[in-house]
Amino acid sequence: MLSELLQGTDTGGFLIVQDNISHSGRPLLKSFISAALNRDEDVHVLAFEASEEELKDGLQGLPCQRLHIHNAYIDPLGWTAHPAFTVQQFCFEELTQLAKQTSQPKPATLVIDSLSWILRHLNPPHVCKTLQQLRKGGAVRAIIGLLHADMHQRGTVGSICHLATSVIAVSPGMKADEAVAKTTKRAKSGKVTQDEEIFRINEDLTVVVLNKTSHPGPKQTDQEEPEMDPTANLTFNLRLSDTEREAKEKLALPFVFSKEKKMALLQSGPGSGRILYEPDANDDYDQEDPDDDLDV
Amino acid sequence: MFTELNSILNTSPDSFTQGDFILVSGRQSDASFLIHHFLSFYLRARCKVCFLGLVQSFSHYSAVCQRLGVSLAQAKEKRQLVFLEGLQEGLSVFIPQDDTTGNKALSFLRDPMVGLQNLYEFVRSSVSSPGGGEEGSDGSEQWGPPVLLVDDLSVLLSLGVSARAVLDFSHYCRASLCSQLQGNVVMLLHCEEEEEEDDGDDEGSERLLKGLIHQCCLALHVQGLPTGYCRDIHGQVEVCWRRRQGDGQHTQNKVFQYKVHDKGASFFARGTSSAVL
Repeated sequence: MLSELLQGTDTGGFLIVQDNISHSGRPLLKSFISAALNRDEDVHVLAFEASEEELKDGLQGLPCQRLHIHNAYIDPLGWTAHPAFTVQQFCFEELTQLAKQTSQPKPATLVIDSLSWILRHLNPPHVCKTLQQLRKGGAVRAIIGLLHADMHQRGTVGSICHLATSVIAVSPGMKADEAVAKTTKRAKSGKVTQDEEIFRINEDLTVVVLNKTSHPGPKQTDQEEPEMDPTANLTFNLRLSDTEREAKEKLALPFVFSKEKKMALLQSGPGSGRILYEPDANDDYDQEDPDDDLDV
Repeated sequence: MFTELNSILNTSPDSFTQGDFILVSGRQSDASFLIHHFLSFYLRARCKVCFLGLVQSFSHYSAVCQRLGVSLAQAKEKRQLVFLEGLQEGLSVFIPQDDTTGNKALSFLRDPMVGLQNLYEFVRSSVSSPGGGEEGSDGSEQWGPPVLLVDDLSVLLSLGVSARAVLDFSHYCRASLCSQLQGNVVMLLHCEEEEEEDDGDDEGSERLLKGLIHQCCLALHVQGLPTGYCRDIHGQVEVCWRRRQGDGQHTQNKVFQYKVHDKGASFFARGTSSAVL
């Protein structure tokens, strides 16, 4: 599913790359930028968290005239006299104008690095509203955002991810250069598909998807291995011989009633006392068995 | 300067990567010995150092660095070191002497909601001012790339500054010192004991720690030993590289144990302390 998303076939999509402190999602974000540039699309990047050099690193071989990096890294809050791009400019009107700057007839792809930075300074409803307006507006073809899931409350992360058509959560893999991607995709029909893949990003920012289901595999064998025989290595004997096992299985438990046992209990045996009862005028003699409704 | 730590981090005063943002975090243990290391390291590397010492007095840092072989007083005289003594300057903000309003850099003490823009301006002006003394006919002494050291950020939190403002401050320092001026930034953060997932706490030190880890390229996490106090092993350091190294390989995180001596600290792999072997 990761490869499909990288091909970027669906328009009007909003993709979120979710990461945390143990594994950064920026290399995967750069792979998406690289894939979009390879398709000859215009890409606008709102760079809040990484410098222009860091973002361009690895994209050297590609047609970079279609890549427009809006430098919000140096002065995002307007502390100097001439900020290039501030966080206050993150609104529908400004961004639409930004995207329309390119002369291409095809709408551009908007990449946001990162949504967490914006959420720290603008309130979540405004951010959600802007993203939704951008999606429906038509000025941008697709939006890709990086979100640090551990930097916000769960509710905020949930709200933003709810707007997305696909969410890729990255986490570290078994080996140093591998990572695990858990992808959730919402189709227009409402169907939700999920997938878990191991991938590696090469030097040229291409993504190699490795063995898909090998990740849950090792977990199962790990669970089977430690299941040792608990009756081994003891100073006393916990094992059952065959006759003992048979006797154990034959044993009738005291409160489990089979039909025979019930009959035996309810009918009095020969020689036991009988109770003769003659009701008085005042007695309320009910022939019904009060225990009849018990499921025994 | 700890030579063993230099070999672990693969740096030396003669050759170190520029443009790095290094985070030192200490959980339930004192990680300030690493700040002393970096201070003496960068002074030896002839960098222009701006040190925000918010926790201790200048004489404390001076005494420790003397044992590591570096004289802070001399560095200050030669204008290699710009030292902001938080304790003294903070007092002058609250009790102004002679009609002075106190150092503008610490104006957040009066109103923490204002943020740390003034502190950032102070840092910016100290590292971009021409280095070296005015005496000498052959001009001022040229110092290397600028370095900012902060000890420590949790003091700002306890003074009422929000975690968001501290993250903005560290962002701006990183943007100007690391990216524009190709210098380095080292910040120390002291964390409390790890709480359970504190979902509603947007302003706590945990959020600040996570935000800084996302920003940094090298994180050194110092912790006490989980088994308690030990005379020969003072704790463990986890070294986490976040950026790809130059050769494109991801470096694995490494854990070392350490012991702080009078004149330095020794680092060794877990279980190989000289007291144990």
